Amino acid sequence: MLILSRKLSESIVIDGRITVKVLRVDGEVVKLGITAPADLPVHRQEVYDEIRRSNQEALTRPTDRLPKLAPLAGTSRA
Amino acid sequence: MNCTETVETTPANARTQCIIDMPLGLLGFEEFKRFSLLTRPAEAPFLRLRALDNPKLAFLVMPPSVVLPAYGPNIADQDTQFLGLQNAEDGLVLNIVTVRGPQQATINLKGPIVLNRRTLLAKQVIPLNASDLPVAYPLPLRAN
Repeated sequence: MLILSRKLSESIVIDGRITVKVLRVDGEVVKLGITAPADLPVHRQEVYDEIRRSNQEALTRPTDRLPKLAPLAGTSRA
Repeated sequence: MNCTETVETTPANARTQCIIDMPLGLLGFEEFKRFSLLTRPAEAPFLRLRALDNPKLAFLVMPPSVVLPAYGPNIADQDTQFLGLQNAEDGLVLNIVTVRGPQQATINLKGPIVLNRRTLLAKQVIPLNASDLPVAYPLPLRAN
């Protein structure tokens, strides 16, 4: 892990095209501004991990049966 | 439109298959960028999403309105722009379903797939209100 210290309003640049800037420091919360090309997704780590795990769990197997949904209250089944 | 409709001799076998582009793949599966989205009337409201380059990468998805008409993921402007969504009707939201047992399934509301119906460009999006959205919302199933 590369460890750098930055003050408010200072930035780092990655690969010459991604910048991360410290926008605000409010107690324990650091607000970061990230500039990156649109084809480079940037996510909060814990949310990324949670969805990645969920995607992994969701992989279907050929033996899986389709769930049978209960009708919404007040509607008829399609 | 990159969709083919196959009408079989029995209507029950009819299906529609669309090829969709996901330039950023799915979270954790970023290298897979081309998927088929298969609709079979007998399987409604579920659709099957399968990576073209890896048939083992297959998912069940469904439009959330079937079980949660009030579901409102707050899609960031960058994502709307990325997908080229000019108005609400252009976009289709599909959520991934996890089958956990014969009588148990959940739907991921935290990471919806948003598809541009016109261009068939899609992305798995993390909405701005993701922290309020469950990743494993239980689907109400019929007691068999």
